[in-house]
Amino acid sequence: MIISKKTKEQIAFAIFRILGIITLGVLIWILGFICFNGISVMSWDFIFSYPEEGMTSGGIFPAIVGTLYLVLGSIIIAFPLGVMSAIYTVEYAKNNWVTKLIRIMTNNLASIPSIVFGLFGMTLFVNTLAFGDSIIAGSLTLSLLILPVVIRTTEEALKAVPNTYRTGSMALGANKIQTIKRIILPTAFPNIITGLVLSIGRVSGETAPILFTVVAYFLPKLPSSIFDQVMALPYHLYVLATSGTDIEKSRPVAYGTALVLIIIVLLMNTVAGVIKNQFQKNKK
Amino acid sequence: MKHTEKEIQLLKDEVKLMWKLVISQLENAKKAMLNNDIALATKIIRNENDVNTFELKVDNLCENFIALNNPVAIDLRLALSLIKISSSLERIGDFTDGIARFITDKECETLDPDLIERLNIEKMFDTLLGMLLDGFVAFETEQTKVSEKIISKDDQVDEIYNNVFETLATHIKNNPAQTICMLKLLLLIRKLERIGDHNNNIVEEIVFFVDARVLKHSGSNNF
Amino acid sequence: MIEAKNVNFYYHTFHALKDINMQIEDNSVTALIGPSGCGKSTFLRLFNRMNDEIDGAKLTGECLINNENIYHKSVQVDLLRKNVGMVFQKPNPFPKSILENVAYGLRVNGINNKQLIEEKVKESLTAAALWNEVKDKLHKSAFELSGGQQQRLCIARALAVSPSILLMDEPASALDPISTAKIEELIFELKQRYTIIIVTHNMQQAARVSDKTGFFMYGELVEHSETKKMFLAPDKTETQNYITGRFG
Repeated sequence: MIISKKTKEQIAFAIFRILGIITLGVLIWILGFICFNGISVMSWDFIFSYPEEGMTSGGIFPAIVGTLYLVLGSIIIAFPLGVMSAIYTVEYAKNNWVTKLIRIMTNNLASIPSIVFGLFGMTLFVNTLAFGDSIIAGSLTLSLLILPVVIRTTEEALKAVPNTYRTGSMALGANKIQTIKRIILPTAFPNIITGLVLSIGRVSGETAPILFTVVAYFLPKLPSSIFDQVMALPYHLYVLATSGTDIEKSRPVAYGTALVLIIIVLLMNTVAGVIKNQFQKNKK
Repeated sequence: MKHTEKEIQLLKDEVKLMWKLVISQLENAKKAMLNNDIALATKIIRNENDVNTFELKVDNLCENFIALNNPVAIDLRLALSLIKISSSLERIGDFTDGIARFITDKECETLDPDLIERLNIEKMFDTLLGMLLDGFVAFETEQTKVSEKIISKDDQVDEIYNNVFETLATHIKNNPAQTICMLKLLLLIRKLERIGDHNNNIVEEIVFFVDARVLKHSGSNNF
Repeated sequence: MIEAKNVNFYYHTFHALKDINMQIEDNSVTALIGPSGCGKSTFLRLFNRMNDEIDGAKLTGECLINNENIYHKSVQVDLLRKNVGMVFQKPNPFPKSILENVAYGLRVNGINNKQLIEEKVKESLTAAALWNEVKDKLHKSAFELSGGQQQRLCIARALAVSPSILLMDEPASALDPISTAKIEELIFELKQRYTIIIVTHNMQQAARVSDKTGFFMYGELVEHSETKKMFLAPDKTETQNYITGRFG
């Protein structure tokens, strides 16, 4: 049987459409499921109070604060470091084997399982550097985890800046630093922000790297310094779902926690998106 | 003004200067002829060099203009017609020079003014000067309405020319001693007739430049 | 005066310019023509040292501006580039406002006085025949301008730092005929105050705008003479074959 070109095209598009709908459907189903199960416990009280009765009721305030601290801490460390590394490899380093090696290593780093980062962080920051289980140890470990992401996305963002901007700037007597500061970074900034967003999502969701470096099962008070332990949403969720005092009873709290985690990530993405748009609007 | 327009203006100015010089040469030739003014005739011969220089200059300007500006349409027609106009003007200059040389010719120092009168030479000069001047105005104003009139004037010149043979033949019969001089005079009149033809060519070039029409070899019935 | 003395230039092992000697007078327009890859752009870029950035580039011989070797180690490249402005093939305004594009060169050269910058911006945009078109939207993005306007903006940007020499690398090849004509008109204007070297693939353009023309082929300067002469009666057969389109 001869199928016309047009029919072939229609069949192909139909398959793509179905696959697309399936993906979207699964996503909506998961989100819907969590929303549906978690909405019952949601209240200002849930967000702003401490866990009670072996975590079967009460709120998750310390875990939210802990996650925010960890996101903030790891971004503060990884972002400047990653952006600067990317600037070095893209703008300064010559395209020789050293640069290539750095690039390969960066890519490899990105594919290492997060539990390995956790163990590494524990060995280096918690024990060797004797930070103990602390925000600083956890943030450092998480920053190592997201560093490759930040470097990769920043590199791509820098490479996307047309070369004619660089030559144009140099031809006017600007040196490399001036060109980077005044032209390249502002132009690449919206895309660099994308890397930041990805990192935030990653950091706020990771359990393994913080397991041995910072989190506590339950803390009655908020941390007072960067050398204190904190609770964190993903770990809290993990504990509630696997090893709480009464798993069945704490299930609604677990869904609530998951919902809060998702909302936090979405919120941060939105903020980053707004910054990105604002920047793009000013520049273009 | 755009750069190309400036170049065109320069080119036109140069040709107009040449044109004016040729007109004054022909005017002087007429005066020298009628008054037998040898000094004036000598001046014409001296000036002939300037006419030649003008031709070279206009040609050079046109060549550069075409080579550097790649003119098209009216600009191209202008450049092409100017090369031919300058060449015609130069030929008119040459003929004028020839007339002046006849005037200074020792052999024919004294010409019978009555004969000149009968040959209608003054009328010939005036008609030719009128054509040359009208052509100049037509070029300057880029108006071709008068072209028909100018070209028809050439017929008058031809008519006068056709009538001189009999007069000259009679004169030679009566004054055989002046035969050589009369033959030279015939050549002079022939030159005047040729000036008329060149005037026609100039007008045809102006029409080609302004209206993009080709009049050459088309006969006068086209008007 | 600009001068190249026995200039040889290599990209790794590729001999891009072969023993070039050329003198360029002040306040003149010199066009560099030749087939692609003949070295004319490389030659152009020698004079603001834009080739420095390229891996494996090597130069022998001397490039002189006002009798000073611009490759001498005492020469500051940023000051050189301030004196030798460049306009590129594709208009490359920065993603900034029109005003900031022109002010950029001033700012990177340490000028921050607002009044001075505004004066300079107006002066440069006027010189680039763009002021009347943009004076009411100086704070709008440069990307809102048409291609031809963008290129004139880039010329204004180069003029703002008060160069004495302008290098133009096929400045009109990405533009429509009307914009091209405007750029060419502009070159006539700029000639009064700047020495201009322009690389072009468009032979008519070279003929129209330049006083002198240099013809490059296979890295050699085949002929360098008055443009009038070059386009009417070139000395070399190669030149004639190229400008008449018989080459190759």
